[in-house]
Amino acid sequence: MDFTLNEDQLAVAGEIDKLAAQFKSSPVDFHGFALYSAELDKQLEDNQFFDIAAMPEMGPLAAALAVERLAQLPYTAEVALSMLLRPALNIELPRPIAVIENGRPGRFVGVAKTLIIIDGDSVGIAHPQAGDTQAIPESLFAYPMAKLVGKLDVQLLSESEADIVRTWLRVACAAEMAGLLKAAIDATVEHISVRKQFGRPLGTLQALRHRMAECAVLAGGVRWLALKAAWSADAGDAALAALHAQESASRVIYDVHQMSGAMGMTLEMDLHLWTYRMKALMSELGGRSGQAEAAGKYCF
Amino acid sequence: MDFNWNDEQLAFRATVHNFIKDNLPENWEHIAHGPASKEQTVFAKEFCGALAEAGLLVPHWPVEWGGQDADPWKAFILAEEMWMAGEPRGGQYMNVNWIGPTLMLFGSPAQQQQYIPPMARGETLWCQGFSEPESGSDLASLRTRAERKGDKYIINGQKIWTSYAGDADTCFCLARTSQGKGGISIFLIPMTTPGITVREIPSIIGEGDIHEVFFDDVEVAETARLGEEGQAWDIVGKALSLERVGIPRFALATTTLHRAVSLLKDQNRFTAGVIEQAAKAKAACEAARLYSYQIIDQRVKNIPTGAEASVGRYATVICERLVSEFVVEHVPEAISGENPMLLAHHQRGIVAGIASGAAEIQLNLIATQYLELPREPR
Repeated sequence: MDFTLNEDQLAVAGEIDKLAAQFKSSPVDFHGFALYSAELDKQLEDNQFFDIAAMPEMGPLAAALAVERLAQLPYTAEVALSMLLRPALNIELPRPIAVIENGRPGRFVGVAKTLIIIDGDSVGIAHPQAGDTQAIPESLFAYPMAKLVGKLDVQLLSESEADIVRTWLRVACAAEMAGLLKAAIDATVEHISVRKQFGRPLGTLQALRHRMAECAVLAGGVRWLALKAAWSADAGDAALAALHAQESASRVIYDVHQMSGAMGMTLEMDLHLWTYRMKALMSELGGRSGQAEAAGKYCF
Repeated sequence: MDFNWNDEQLAFRATVHNFIKDNLPENWEHIAHGPASKEQTVFAKEFCGALAEAGLLVPHWPVEWGGQDADPWKAFILAEEMWMAGEPRGGQYMNVNWIGPTLMLFGSPAQQQQYIPPMARGETLWCQGFSEPESGSDLASLRTRAERKGDKYIINGQKIWTSYAGDADTCFCLARTSQGKGGISIFLIPMTTPGITVREIPSIIGEGDIHEVFFDDVEVAETARLGEEGQAWDIVGKALSLERVGIPRFALATTTLHRAVSLLKDQNRFTAGVIEQAAKAKAACEAARLYSYQIIDQRVKNIPTGAEASVGRYATVICERLVSEFVVEHVPEAISGENPMLLAHHQRGIVAGIASGAAEIQLNLIATQYLELPREPR
C-alpha cells in the first residue's frame, strides 16, 4: 500500500497541471453550456497524454489521475475514454471516443471517430462518417452533445470484450466525476467564503459548513475508489467506484447549487459547467441502479 | 501509489486470522454481543493473554515494552482482523492503541513499570474518564476537581457514559487542578480507590457498556498524576493523534454487510432494490477503508496527518450507518436477537458517530482545516 504518488506519477501530474494552466479560466464572454476546447484536445494529443495508460511505468492509475485533474477545468475535451478505455481493448479505436447508450444522445458523439454502441446487454463499435450524427447545441449538459441520425455498421463485441468496456467506462466515469466534484466544491467554497449575509460570510454558518464538509468526504471517497479501480481493473471495484460517484454527485450537485444560490444559476459563475457534466455522467450505464446491479454481481 | 499488500503484510494478516480462528470458542457469537459485557471482558483477558504469548497483542510497541517495533500497517491489519471477528480484545484495544503508547511518552518511570507490563501481557482493563454530565464535546468545560493537599490530591466530581468502568482496573481520568483549558490534569486512578462508585447505565449498546463514575473525596498520591499539572490538553492531543484513524469500524461493517447479504441470498431475498442498498453500503465501506489506509500510510512515512483524519472518520460514520440501516431494514430479526453477530455490529455501530468525539466536531474540523472555510464566530 502506498498512497503517495511515485516519481512517474508525480511527473505526469506536474505535466498535466502545466498544460491545464492555460485552460483554467473560462472566457469572460462565454455564457453557454458546452465549453469544448479543440486546443486542449490537440495539446493532449500532441504530448501523447492519451497513451499514458499503455506506458509500463505509468499505467491506468496515472491515466485516472490525469482524467481527474483535467475534469476540474472549465474547458472540456474527450479525455476519459481515450485515456482509460482505449488501451484496455485489443482493438484499434481511433479517438475521440463516445458512447451511444440505448439510442440516446451522448457527449462528444459529434466529434467522435469511434462510437461505443450499447443496446441493452450488447456492446458494439462503429465509426461514424460525416452526416451520421447531429449536434444538439441546446442541451443543458455541459458537454458537446449529439445524437446518431445515420445507420451505422456496428461490429458487435464478444461478451468478455463487452465486460471490459463496461468496466472501463465505469472507471472513466468515476475518475471524471471525482474531478468534477472537486471543482464544484472548490467553486462553492470560494463563493460562500466571500459572500456575506447577516454581516458575515455564509461559510461561517454551521448549517452550511457541515453540508460542505459532508460533500468533501463524499468527493474524496469517489477519488480513492476511482484510483483503486483504475489500478485493479476489477469489475467489482469499477462498479463500486461508479456507483459511489453517481450517488455522491446526486447529493453534491444539490448542495453546491443550494449554497451558491441565484449566483449559481447564472452562466457567469461556471458552477453549471461542472454540475451539468456531473448530471450527464449520472445517467451512464443505467445510473445508480445499473452500477448497483453490477456491484451485486461482482461484489457479493 | 499502489494498492498492493506486500508478502510480509499478507503473511501477518494470515497469522492473525488463523490465531483468531483457533482461539475463539464455539459460543463466541453469543459472547460477542454488546462490546463490554461481563462475559466478553472475562474472555478478553484470556484471549489477550494468549495473543500476548503469540506476540500478537502489541507488535507495534517498542521492543523494550514487549513489542516488536512493527510498523503502523501491522497494527492496523491486526485491528482490522480483530474488528472483523467482533473485537475479542474487548476494551483492551484501548491499552494497545493509545493508553500504553501515551504512558510510554509521558509516564514517570514508576508509572511505566506499574502499568505498561500488565497491558503488554493482556491482563488489565482501563476506562477513560473524560465525559461529564455537563461536558461532552465541550470537554474543556469539565468540572471534576483535583485539589492538592500536601503530596496528595483529593478528587471530587462525576464522570458519565464511561465505557468499561464496571470491570476496569484503572481510570485514565481528567480532572481540573485550576481554572481554564490549561487547568486540566490527568490522573491514573485504580478503580478500587476508596470513594469511587460505579453505576451502570442501562443502554441500547448492551450490557455493561456505559456507566456513571462518582468521585467522592478520592485521595490519590501526587505520583498518580500523568505529566505536569495542566498538561492534560497536550497529552490528550498526542494520545488522540496516536488514535487518529480510530478503530477500523469499516472492517466489521463490511463483514456484517456480507453476512446479511449471505442470509438474504439463502432466502432468495437479495433482489433489485435490496442489491442497490447493499451496493451503496459496500461502496461507502470501501471509501472509508481507503481513507483509513491513506492515514496509516502517512503515519508510516511520518507525514503529519491533518484534517484527513477527520475526513476518514466521517467516511467511517457514513458506512456504519448505511450497513446498520441495511440490517435493520432487511434482516430485522437480527435486532430481535436471532443473529448475535449482526446484533453486535448494530450495537457497536450506534456509537460510531459519538464515541471519541461527536461526528459533528469532525465536520467542523473538515470545514475549517480541510476546506479552509472561514471560522464560525465564537
